[in-house]
Amino acid sequence: MKKTFSIPAEPDSLEVIRGHIDSVAEDAGLDKKKAYKLKLAVDEIAANIINYGFQATDSVKEPIEITMELLEQHLSVTLEDHAIPFNPLEKAIPGEEDLKKEPEDRPIGGLGIMLARSNVDDFSYEFSKGKNINKLTIHI
Amino acid sequence: MSLTVHTQYSENAAIITVEGSLDSATAPQLDEQVKEVVQKNPEALVLNVEKLDFMSSAGLRIIIFAKQKLGASVSLTLVKPQEQLIETLKMTGLIHSVHIVDAYP
Repeated sequence: MKKTFSIPAEPDSLEVIRGHIDSVAEDAGLDKKKAYKLKLAVDEIAANIINYGFQATDSVKEPIEITMELLEQHLSVTLEDHAIPFNPLEKAIPGEEDLKKEPEDRPIGGLGIMLARSNVDDFSYEFSKGKNINKLTIHI
Repeated sequence: MSLTVHTQYSENAAIITVEGSLDSATAPQLDEQVKEVVQKNPEALVLNVEKLDFMSSAGLRIIIFAKQKLGASVSLTLVKPQEQLIETLKMTGLIHSVHIVDAYP
């Protein structure tokens, strides 16, 4: 099963994307916990693109193309966007020491990317033909 | 699903009930009320999240902001967070900065 759709790079799209994941997860018979983890990870990446990807004044908010693919053992969601190049795998995320800190002392950035990376089984990124391609996969 | 946010005061605690989905589109609604509450210097901040079905890092940032503004002496309590929300708090270490209860008071 493969399904592709494109969606405006606007905050209101986040809920729509999660809805699509819910319906595919249900078709796949995925348990709720795994479905939630995939939703959370994809939500963080999509939010990042929408909130930070188009900050240049002349940038056009081109839609994000999303492909969901269900295989026997895997469910993957690929996001392709024309935002500024950004590799989440290279982004500094809070380390163990930071996570132990009191909220008063902790850095506030990087939590979303950390959640995206740690809630899926496989995360890949490439920049190709002017597009960021993020692929998030969970094992069924 | 979107988000509904409702604030009430009881004794010296501010209780904010949050229902629906807390993502970066809806977070400003909660952010606004938390900012208002923080200015009133409550002795405790209680977030009733029993019916909060989804929370991204946008919600975590509000929790961190609230703790930073209120200071260590003001407790932040979450009422009945769902299992996945607890997982997120554990993963990010914030579980140690909040109280989790089944009912308030």
